[in-house]
Amino acid sequence: MANQCRYLEYRTDGQGKRFDTARAYCTAADSFVQPMRADICNRRYDLEPEQDCEYYEAATSGSANSEGDEGGDENRSER
Amino acid sequence: MTYNDYLERKPVIVTAALTGGVQGKETVSNLPETPEEVGAAARECERAGASIVHLHARRPNGERAFSAERFQEVTDAVRSETDDLIVQHSTGGTAASDEIRAEPLRTDPAPEMASLDMGPLNRYAKLTSENTREIVDDLHAEMLNRGIKPELEVFNGGHLNESLRIWEDLESPPYVNLVFGGGTTTIPHPRNLVMLAENLPADTEFNILGFGPHQLPMTTQGLLLGGHVRVGLEDNRYYRHGEPAESNAQLVERAVRIANELERPVATPTEARSILGID
Repeated sequence: MANQCRYLEYRTDGQGKRFDTARAYCTAADSFVQPMRADICNRRYDLEPEQDCEYYEAATSGSANSEGDEGGDENRSER
Repeated sequence: MTYNDYLERKPVIVTAALTGGVQGKETVSNLPETPEEVGAAARECERAGASIVHLHARRPNGERAFSAERFQEVTDAVRSETDDLIVQHSTGGTAASDEIRAEPLRTDPAPEMASLDMGPLNRYAKLTSENTREIVDDLHAEMLNRGIKPELEVFNGGHLNESLRIWEDLESPPYVNLVFGGGTTTIPHPRNLVMLAENLPADTEFNILGFGPHQLPMTTQGLLLGGHVRVGLEDNRYYRHGEPAESNAQLVERAVRIANELERPVATPTEARSILGID
């Protein structure tokens, strides 16, 4: 099994944004990945894209609904 | 903590939550991520009136980090840029192992405070930060051992029950953070803030955290009930509807201004230590 999700890339630009350090980008969701999600992409802490990521599930099942709860600020914090 | 505390003009502690660990610059372009950026933000927040900074650590690319080494870099930067701020490390960590969760407690010096999540919190579609009683007890024991004041993170009313389970083991006064927002947190409504505040044991010190658009009304109501307040980009990226916040300090400045208008003096770090029983 690969060390990271097959949909993960590290990019310095995209979505009209540019970063000095390459950041996690999901080619399934076509967007940069939030830091917490990047732990799933990288299989850290026993997380697995195949089990734990709704974007992965949607991409592999062909579902058009890859909408996750990226949420507003309501779900942002990890205290 | 009651309305009488407000009437008696008890000083309010303002906490600045600078960066968090869920989102990063991909979502909030002006979010401080590096130790240098967090240190600078802490300096601005101290000048604006904050007495506590709530810290997370990140990798150079913004992703979550839990190691004592990465927390050391952040806390060193904050301490070098500020005069007297109380440093509070997060021990939150969805999916991270119990051992990793304790790493932020192991900097030198230890943080004066640390967060202690009191129960489960759902994340995205498939994740839950479990926060079992076992890890709560383990983290709390290490905090006690290292002289770290816990801030009990009460995401909802059930977590207040969980807090009462360890109440007798807490050093006085217990410090509870009441959290209002979406998902597993308490539904943000004034009546729910009153309900939770009324259920706190006497002599509890409590803080109010409202996510997103609830940050301003919930913290303002908290001021009237004698509570303390937490603001910052970790919890809320907007200053007002449709207008992104310029910085953490801007959100602190507003909280301080409202407290002043309501005639609650803002606690200095020294006063905050006295209120919270931090030696």
